[in-house]
Amino acid sequence: MSLVEIHHVSRSYGHVKAIDDVSLSLEPGTIGLVGNNGAGKSTLLKVLLGLLKPDAGSGTILGFDILHASGALRGRVGYMPESAAIVPVLKGVEFVTLSGDLYGMPHRDARRRAHEVLNYVGLGELRYRRLEEYSTGNLQRLKLAAALVHDPQLLLLDEPTNGLDPTGRLAMLELIEDLIAETGKSVILCTHLLGDVERLCEQVVVLHQGTVARAGKMTTLRAGATNRFELGWQSDTKALLERLRAGGAEVVTGENAGHATITLPNGWGTKQLFQLARETGAVLTHLKPEQEDLERLFFRVTTAEAGARMESTGAAAEEAARGD
Amino acid sequence: MGIDRAHYHGWQGELRSSWFGCLAIVRVALLQVFRRKSYWFVIALGLLNFLLFWSIIYAVTQFQLPSRAQEELLERFGFSATPAAGVESGYIIFMQRQSLVVMILLAFSGSLLVGSDFRMRALPFYLSRRIDRRHYIVGKLLATSAVVTIMTTLPALLLFLEYGMFTSSADYWVNNWRIVLSVLAYGAALCAVLSIWLVTLSAYLQRIAPIAIVWSTLFVMLNWAASELRRATGGEYWKLLDPWRDIRYVGRLSFGTFENYEEFRLAVIATIILTVLCAICLVLLVRRVRAVDVVE
Repeated sequence: MSLVEIHHVSRSYGHVKAIDDVSLSLEPGTIGLVGNNGAGKSTLLKVLLGLLKPDAGSGTILGFDILHASGALRGRVGYMPESAAIVPVLKGVEFVTLSGDLYGMPHRDARRRAHEVLNYVGLGELRYRRLEEYSTGNLQRLKLAAALVHDPQLLLLDEPTNGLDPTGRLAMLELIEDLIAETGKSVILCTHLLGDVERLCEQVVVLHQGTVARAGKMTTLRAGATNRFELGWQSDTKALLERLRAGGAEVVTGENAGHATITLPNGWGTKQLFQLARETGAVLTHLKPEQEDLERLFFRVTTAEAGARMESTGAAAEEAARGD
Repeated sequence: MGIDRAHYHGWQGELRSSWFGCLAIVRVALLQVFRRKSYWFVIALGLLNFLLFWSIIYAVTQFQLPSRAQEELLERFGFSATPAAGVESGYIIFMQRQSLVVMILLAFSGSLLVGSDFRMRALPFYLSRRIDRRHYIVGKLLATSAVVTIMTTLPALLLFLEYGMFTSSADYWVNNWRIVLSVLAYGAALCAVLSIWLVTLSAYLQRIAPIAIVWSTLFVMLNWAASELRRATGGEYWKLLDPWRDIRYVGRLSFGTFENYEEFRLAVIATIILTVLCAICLVLLVRRVRAVDVVE
């Protein structure tokens, strides 16, 4: 069963389209939801949780309809909001117990479980402190505990490392890593910190201006997505490079040292490379498809999307002008 | 502060109805109010008023005072335990005085009980659990009502119990059992009006200073304006501009003690005014309680 299956979901705030025609199919596991500020990440998260009704579209999460079964859905999903979201005067354990109560757990279970999850996230000693006295890092842990209290199948974490210092961020990432490894829960991690996603997630959804720019397994998206290779060879350096350029390849770095990074044109593969090497008498010593890191992937994808949009807007404007 | 896996177990149990979430909101709200030391000063004022009435009843029933002296004492403190037609019941007066204290308490606690959820953006925390905005609103209204009830209805019922307990027979309870219903009805009206108004105001104004200013304008300035306009024009209906008096009229309606038909008519109009205002506030409240802040 898919974890998330949504079709053509759109949601606007007034005239602003926060998410536009988003369709996704995600497997259980850890999923990174990345995008610039205002890309629609938090809105998508809230739609997935049933907090916001989409203007159009439909879908299911864990088999529950996001339009009509949001109550039952939230019984299986834990949400950690981005905002401070504290209830003043309460102590840590009371806050987590309140969360359990609001999820519908019997009060005694909620209280027992609050102690358990607070110990788990490392706040056992601070559980009787008032929320106002918690540091940012501990507040993030507390919110995670509040999301975990009813033992959900899926956790939606909205910017869990936001505002944390490097040590706090590392500790939080270790905690989430442990949570995934130990409890086997699915996690949707919404963040603009690509390093966090790279470290934790198997699948990634790149949102750009309210639309899905790319979605899929991290390894698939990163490997070979650019048709970029690291190439090493002996013999005549210039001849091979000239032939490559003539064929439409882009030489990215290091063209004089018998070693270069090249981007092949569409439709080209390693077969064409070997053929060119044979023709120019070059001996290939090294050929490796380049693994793109998430940051590069993100910039490539969002830049390409922005370019495509500009083009389509320009074409539309031109057409309109012609019509006039 | 390491991770402790040793004591972590899964939880498998049945989730209860979302309406139980309202009770959790009430419990937490009472914790918030009674844990703030500064509020205890106001609560103490309410307790003093209660003890005063308690002592009067004790004195009247225990010290075998002559009946004339009893009446004088009761009149002096405005407490008529067995109201006749045209005499305002002592319980109304007691509850009215108590609700003055409640009003001060609510003016300060509105920001804590409701405003902070908006200010600290805790609304997504509440609404992302298994409750929706209906449960949230009902929970907050019940929480405010609980504070009002603890300070007004409950002590009034205790005084009724005391009066009966200190007389030698159960006659007082038997003959005046309607007072209980009246106290409950007046208490319900106080709870409904004060909680709906406070929760709506706090949801929009959020911070303590603006809430206190608007709250006192509602109950102090309008009272003053109503009496000035009444004096200037001679129109009795100006009375109804004062919400405090309107609530009192509703109380008298539930106790059924009116001097004339005109008063009764004013009470009915006051009830209609309060109902309409509460309905408007509820609509505004529902519009305000959303899980997301719309960012332009």
